[in-house]
Amino acid sequence: MEVDRTDGRTPNQLRPLACSRRILHRAHGSASWSQGDTKVLVAVYGPKAGTKKNENPEKACIEVVWKPKTGQIGKPEREFEMILKRTLQSICVLTVNPNTTTSVIVQVVHDDGALLPCAINAACAALVDAGIPMKHLAVAIFCCLAESGYVILDPTKLEEQKMKAFVYLVFPNSILSVLPEVSSTMKGEPMEHGIITSVTHGAMSENDYFLCLERGRAASAKLSDFLRRSLQSKVPGDSSKAG
Amino acid sequence: MHKKRCVVGHFEVCSCVTAFANFSPRSCLAATLIFSFLLSLLDLRSPNDLVIPANYSARSRSRSRSHFVVGVAKTPSKLMLMEASTSPATFVDKIVVPGDVVLDLSTFTNETIKLGGGLRQDPDAISVMKAGKLKFSKPNKYWVESSQRRYVPCMEETVLGIVVDCKADNFLVDIKGPAIAFLPVLAFEGGTRRNIPKFEVGALVYVRVVKANPGMNPELSCTDAYGKAAEFGLLKDGYMFETSTGLSRIFLVSHYATMNVIEPCSSRLLSSPTCPVLEELGKQLSFEIAVGLNGRVWVNADSPSTVVVVSNAIMNSEPLSGVQQKIMVEKLLQRIK
Repeated sequence: MEVDRTDGRTPNQLRPLACSRRILHRAHGSASWSQGDTKVLVAVYGPKAGTKKNENPEKACIEVVWKPKTGQIGKPEREFEMILKRTLQSICVLTVNPNTTTSVIVQVVHDDGALLPCAINAACAALVDAGIPMKHLAVAIFCCLAESGYVILDPTKLEEQKMKAFVYLVFPNSILSVLPEVSSTMKGEPMEHGIITSVTHGAMSENDYFLCLERGRAASAKLSDFLRRSLQSKVPGDSSKAG
Repeated sequence: MHKKRCVVGHFEVCSCVTAFANFSPRSCLAATLIFSFLLSLLDLRSPNDLVIPANYSARSRSRSRSHFVVGVAKTPSKLMLMEASTSPATFVDKIVVPGDVVLDLSTFTNETIKLGGGLRQDPDAISVMKAGKLKFSKPNKYWVESSQRRYVPCMEETVLGIVVDCKADNFLVDIKGPAIAFLPVLAFEGGTRRNIPKFEVGALVYVRVVKANPGMNPELSCTDAYGKAAEFGLLKDGYMFETSTGLSRIFLVSHYATMNVIEPCSSRLLSSPTCPVLEELGKQLSFEIAVGLNGRVWVNADSPSTVVVVSNAIMNSEPLSGVQQKIMVEKLLQRIK
């Protein structure tokens, strides 16, 4: 079903991506990620000695602080912090530096739709910049479902407000491997088809959810390529852009 | 036809090999060898692709540097191993990101592989933990080279630490690592309970890492392996600044390099080959420098302007190549005159 988006994109098209690393001089790792007009800046400090009280001292601990562009910190910010913390905990190797804390501070520079996926992508790039050991990278996608049943990816804020339901999906990135295709799969599905995080808002049917998953997976391959290219640049201060 | 994995390893022949996969490993190997020989005769593959290694060694057990983790392949086999044309060669010297699988352990049988920083061992393969360039050093060392702001402590590395606290038995020293390091009070040349050095909080010390076990606080020492002072200890005056670990590794090429006193027109650097920036600067200026592998650099000279020039030259030299560094330093020195 053809749909008209205000900026002329097709339903599966993402906004222009831009990523730059090592932009903050004092932070141990930093990255800024922008999708269209949505821009998020993430700083990583750590690993530093000591964990918080209720955390397991045999593992590294990740602490997330979310700073909105304006206003006070309230429940939505706490929810974002929790989702980001759980996602980052599942991609980092926590046993390498036990009894340490890594702080991830997220600053929203501008919010124009798809804020949390943008923040997850930026946090992943910042963790790579800081040299925190990770199992694999994560790419995040925002899919939303309109009243009439069509799915669009990466909406702007105006488009987001008109939607019936939406879902944030985080997938592992596509990896290069020397192993032949067969052995890097689990139960017949490639590794890239795993889901790290899935958060839904609103009501959607199962079929709609699976449709969103498919679209999200296809787009995550493009995001994964872009992330790999931006990490390839030798000079860390370089920024890379993709239309 | 899809490629099946056989014990022998991965070869870039077409998938006809799968027909042989049900045979014993020896006949499979023989068949593959004959097949690739035939292919080379037909000029379909260059002769270099014939998979006979020149220097295969069954067991290489050299003494390892302690920061390499030794990984041993789990599947024993009686076959002579053939170096696969795909596996390590494809990723060595390329930039890899976390998650990439770079080595297939089933192709290395009865061998000791040494893994450096940035790599970890899954049950069957070696995968990457940090983004960087994958490096390989003969006979069997793999590691990922990357440049970070923080430091991962390793044995026998010289670092610059800042004293944070003094306890009864140790000084607590911050070396930009995940845990705070201990410098025993007696780890000095001729150190006894009666002549314990007095370091204030905030003092800069040039030390050597003695023990660096994961999860534990690293231990330092102000003597070299023979017990002599060898330029370790407190650094007075001068100026300290922080860079990334990659830049300091470029400066310290031999890991036993100590402090260098550089005089004009005669660089008496103890390590060679030297960094182009330091060489060029040393031709005109006279200064003292101490580089720690944790990214801290200390510079001391007679006049503050020399210190400023040297520090700026070093800080600006990270993204430049050797020739560009020389040009940058020449321009800088000309502007002062």
